[in-house]
Amino acid sequence: MIETQLSELAAATAARIAAAATAEELEVIRVEVLGRKGRLAEVSKDMGKLSPEQRGAVGKQLNAAKQTLEAALTARKTAFDEAALRARLDREWLDLTAPAAGPGLGSLHPLTQIQAEIEDLFVSLGFTVLDGPEVETEFNNFDALNIPPDHPARDMQDTFWLSNGHLLRTHTSPVQVRGMKKLGPPLRMIAPGRVFRNEEVDASHEHTFYQLEGMMVDKDVSVAHLIYFMKTLLSAIFKRDVTVRLRPGYFPFVEPGFELDIQCLICQGAGCPVCKQSGWVELLPCGLVHPNVLRLGGIDPEEYSGFAFGLGLTRLVMMRYAIDDIRQLQGGDLRFLTQF
Amino acid sequence: MKFSYNWLAEHIDGLTVPPAEIGKLITMKTAECEGVEAHGAHFEHVVVARVLTAEPIPGTHLSVTSVDTGRYGVKQVVCGAPNCRAGMLTAYVPPGQLGVTTAKLRGVDSDGMLASAKELGISAEDEGIIEFAAGEPGAAMAGCTADTIVEIDNKSLTHRPDLWGHHGMAREVAAIAGRPLKPIAAELPAGAPAVEIEIRDAKLCPRFSALRFENVTVQPSPLWLQQRLESVGLNPINNIVDVTNYLMAELAQPMHAYDAAKLQGGRIIVRVAEEGELCPALNGQTYTLDAGNLVIADAGGPVGIAGVIGGGPSAIGEGTTTILLEAANFHAASIRRTSTKLKLRTDASMRFEKSQDPENTVRALARAKWLLEQVSPGIRLVGGLADDYHPLPAVAPIEFDLVWMRRKLGKPDLTAAEVTAILRSLAFGVAETEGRFTVTVPSWRATKDVSLKDDLVEEVGRMIGYGNLTPAPPLVPSVVPPLPPERSYLRGLRQLLTAQGYTEVYNYSFVNEAQAAELGLPLEDHVRVVNPIAQGQELLRTSLLPNIKRNINDNAREFESFRCFEIGKEIHARGRELPEEIPHLAAVSFDKHGDGAANLFELKRLAGTIAPGCTVEPAEARGYEHPNRAAIVILRNEAIGRLFEFHPAMVETGRAAVLDLDLTKVQALRTAAGKYKPLRRFPTSAFDVTVPVAERELAGNVLARLREGAGELALDIRYLYDYKGDSGRSMSFRITLGAADRTLTGEEVTAVRSQVMSWMGL
Ligand SMILES: [Zn+2]
Repeated sequence: MIETQLSELAAATAARIAAAATAEELEVIRVEVLGRKGRLAEVSKDMGKLSPEQRGAVGKQLNAAKQTLEAALTARKTAFDEAALRARLDREWLDLTAPAAGPGLGSLHPLTQIQAEIEDLFVSLGFTVLDGPEVETEFNNFDALNIPPDHPARDMQDTFWLSNGHLLRTHTSPVQVRGMKKLGPPLRMIAPGRVFRNEEVDASHEHTFYQLEGMMVDKDVSVAHLIYFMKTLLSAIFKRDVTVRLRPGYFPFVEPGFELDIQCLICQGAGCPVCKQSGWVELLPCGLVHPNVLRLGGIDPEEYSGFAFGLGLTRLVMMRYAIDDIRQLQGGDLRFLTQF
Repeated sequence: MKFSYNWLAEHIDGLTVPPAEIGKLITMKTAECEGVEAHGAHFEHVVVARVLTAEPIPGTHLSVTSVDTGRYGVKQVVCGAPNCRAGMLTAYVPPGQLGVTTAKLRGVDSDGMLASAKELGISAEDEGIIEFAAGEPGAAMAGCTADTIVEIDNKSLTHRPDLWGHHGMAREVAAIAGRPLKPIAAELPAGAPAVEIEIRDAKLCPRFSALRFENVTVQPSPLWLQQRLESVGLNPINNIVDVTNYLMAELAQPMHAYDAAKLQGGRIIVRVAEEGELCPALNGQTYTLDAGNLVIADAGGPVGIAGVIGGGPSAIGEGTTTILLEAANFHAASIRRTSTKLKLRTDASMRFEKSQDPENTVRALARAKWLLEQVSPGIRLVGGLADDYHPLPAVAPIEFDLVWMRRKLGKPDLTAAEVTAILRSLAFGVAETEGRFTVTVPSWRATKDVSLKDDLVEEVGRMIGYGNLTPAPPLVPSVVPPLPPERSYLRGLRQLLTAQGYTEVYNYSFVNEAQAAELGLPLEDHVRVVNPIAQGQELLRTSLLPNIKRNINDNAREFESFRCFEIGKEIHARGRELPEEIPHLAAVSFDKHGDGAANLFELKRLAGTIAPGCTVEPAEARGYEHPNRAAIVILRNEAIGRLFEFHPAMVETGRAAVLDLDLTKVQALRTAAGKYKPLRRFPTSAFDVTVPVAERELAGNVLARLREGAGELALDIRYLYDYKGDSGRSMSFRITLGAADRTLTGEEVTAVRSQVMSWMGL
C-alpha cells in the first residue's frame, strides 16, 4: 500500500518538477516534498508501522525516490540558473563604442616636453639643472657677462627695463654667473627658462621665448672638447648623426666665440630653401667662457677654463613640429595645445 | 656693411680668390656674410651714346630720338627725360639689360633705353638721363665696372672697429688668402697748422686732426667714385662730401668737411655741450643738447655734434671754395649715448661707437688729400696738419706659451711657426723663443678688441679653421649631478595634471593695467615695464589669473567644456630689490552648461591629490569670484591657495572653476611618509548618524563637531549624504570604531553611540 503511495508521489512530484516554470516553484516543491516536514518525511515516519522486511524494501524505495527527485530538482534548478544568467548577460549588452565618461588625457605644452627631454639628456651627462629669476639685475644680465654699460653689444638685445631699476632677463646667460657662484669649479650646469626681448611680435618674432643655457667648467676644457660635446648632444636631440661646424661669432661673454651651424637636416648639405642653399643652418651661439666672466663667477681663469652655449628651445620646438607661427606657443588656444 | 670685391682687391697684391668664394671664406674665418650679389653686370653692355636727333611726340612728354651707340649702330629710342636733346652724350642701354626690351611706346618703336644715373646704379640722380662731358659713342662708361658686393652682418662686426672699412676687411681677406696687403701711404707735407685746435676733454676726444684746402671746386664726382659709393649703399652727393664718405668706407675713419668760410674765428673747440644748447644739423633738424653730448664748436657755437653729424650752416655747398677737413677720434660710449639719446644713428656714429683707432686720423687725411687732388682740380692745401693728439694708454704686449694655446684649442700638434705666421698675417708683432710668445697688438685692434691672451686664441683658431681641430671628449669627473628637488616636483605635478585631463598653457609674464584693475590687483604690487613697445606689456603679472581668464573666454568660443592649467611665476614688487617670484599653479575646469558644482568639486579633488591632507574653508569672495563659491585651501594650518568659481560677470558663457595654488608653499608643507603603522588586528564596528542641520550648514563644521564628540575610539567619520526633505535638511555620517588591542564589545559601541547622540543634541 505504502509502496503504491510512494511511487505515485514520486511520479507526481517528478511531473511537477518537470512542469515548474520558476526557481521559486521548484523551491515550493522541494519544501513540500523533500523538506524536513515534507511528504517524504511523513512517509518515513509511517515506516515505523511496517514490518522489518517491508521496512527494508520501502526504505530502499524511499531513498531511491529521494535521490531521483533531488537530482531532478538540481538539474531543473541548474537549468533555471543558467537561463537566468543567460538572460542577465543578454540584458547587459553594452555599446562600447559609446564615449567614455570623464576627462581624457590632457597635453603638456610642447616647450615643456622638449625641455624635459633635453634636461634628461644633460642630466645623463652629469649636468645639474638650475633655475634663475625672470627679473634680473642689470649687472647679472650684462656687466657680469662682460657687457658693460654703453657697450654696443647691448643693442643686440632689446631690453625690457623695469620700474625697480632692474630688467627682464634677455638671455639665460645670467644663470651662468649664479651657477658658478653656487656650484664652484669644476661644474656642469644647464639653465632652461623664459627670456624676454623688447620686440614687435609677428609670426616669426616673439618678445617671450625659451632658451637653455649650458656651461662646463673644468681644467683644460678646449675648443675641440666643445665641438665633440655639441656634436654628441645635437645628435641625441635630433636622434640622428649630425655634422656641425664652428665659425667665428661675437658674444662678449665668450672668447673665442662661435656660431655653431649644423648641416641641413632636410637636404644633407646639398642646398635647399630651408638652408637658403648654403647646406648649413645656424643653430646656436657658443664659445669658451671669457676669463672676465669666470673671474666674476669666483673662478680663477688661469686654473680653469670652460665652454658655454645657448640653445633656443622655442626654435627647436618650431623645427620639430613645423610650427609656422611662433605666437601660437603662448596663445593659450587649446585647439593648438591639445595636439601635443 | 657692404663690401665691394673690386675695392677689396685693390688693397691686396694678387688676390686670386674668385668673387663667389669670398663670402664663404669671410664667414668661416672672420664674420658672418649675409649675401653675395653681382653688381653692375650691365656695365659691360651699356655704352656712351650721342643723341643725333630728338623730336617731341605730340600730345606726350616723350621724344623720339635717333642715337649713335657706336657698338650697336644707330638706334631709334623713345625717351621721356626733360634734358634729352640732340647733341648730348648720354648712356644707351641695349635690350636685354636692366630689364629693357624692344617696345612700342605710344605707337613708336623704341629699341633700348637712354638711362638716368639712378637707373644705371651709379647714384640717386633721377632728374633726367645721365649726361657726359666727353666720350666716344660705343665706349664703356669710364670707371664703371662689374663688381660683386659682399654683405656682412653688422652684429658680427661689433667688436671689430677696423672691419668697418674696406682696408681692414682686405687685411683679413689677404691673411685668409695668403697674399700681402698693400700699404696705404700717409705722407703729408710739413707746414704750420692752418687752424688751432682745442680739445677740452681728452678722454672724450683723444684726437682731432684737420687740414685746410683752398681753391676748391664743388661738383659731381667722377663716375667711378659715384658708382663705388652707390655700390656699397652710400649716396653720392658732391665731390667733397663723396671723398669723406669714400674714406669712411675705405679706412673706417668717419670724416667731415666744413665750408671754412662759414666757420667763425680761427679755432676749433671740442667740448661738451651746454645745457640746452642748440645745434642745427645738416639733415635739417635742430638738436637740443646737454652736458652728455660732445660738440665741435667755433667762436659762434656748435658746428657739429661730435662723431654723429655735421652742422647745417657750415655744410659744403655749391659756393664753397675753402674747406676744413676733419678726421677725429671720439670716446665710443659717449658717442653711443649721444646717438641713442638723439635717436640719430649715422654711418659715423655706428663706427665711432665700436672704438675707432686714433692712429687712423692722419692716414685718412693724407689719403683724402690725394683723392681731393683728383676730383677737385686745382685744389691747394693751406699750411700743414693741425693735430691735437692725446694717445690712449698703450696695450701691454700679450704673453702666452704655445702649450697653453694648444690646450685652449685642443690642438696638440700646433707649432710655434704656425702661430707666428697667423698672427703676423693679421699685423700682430710676434716675438717667440722656445714656445714663449710676446705679441704686440696693432693700434686698430688695441682700442677694445684685443687685450688678453684669450683674444689671441680666437685669432689663431679661426685662421687654422675650427674644422681642422679633432673633436675630443672632455675628461670630466663622473659624479651624480646635484638636482634641485623643485624640478622633479614640477615635472611630477605636470604629469599628474595631464593624467587628470588638464592641458598645459603658457601665458606671457605681462598684464596691462586694465587687466590688473579688473581683478582688483593692487597696482603698487606690480613691477612696471618702463619701455613697453606694445600694449598689454605695462606690468609684470602678480597673478596668473588675468591671463587665465583670457584663456577661459577665448577657449569658451571653441569648446563646450575644457580643462587647462598653467604653472608660472607671480612677480611681486619689493621696492628696489629684485621682486619675489613665486611659482603658482592655476587650473581651470570649465563647462558651458551645468550648475558648476561638479567643476568645483573636481578641482577640490585635484587639490587633494596635489596637496594630500588639505582642507577647504569658505572665504570672503573677492570681486572676481562668485560670492558664494570661494574658498581658501589650507594645508597644515597654512593657506596655500584658493578654490573658486569666476563671477558670472567675468566669464559670461559658462561656469569656470579655478584652483590657484602657491607651489612654494605646497612644496614646503608636503610631508614625506614616516614610519609605517602596524595593520589593525581586531575587527571594527560602525554605526550611522543622521544629523538635522540648518539650510546653509557646512558639512565641514558638522564633521568637526562629530570628531570632537566621538572620542578616541572613533577611527573614521565618513560623510554619507545630504538629504533635503519637507522636515528640513539633514546629513548622514558613518562612524567607525575600533581599538588597537581588542575587539570592542556591544556595550562599548552603544556607549559611544549614545555619547555622540547626546553631544550632537539628538
Ligand atoms: Zn638644406
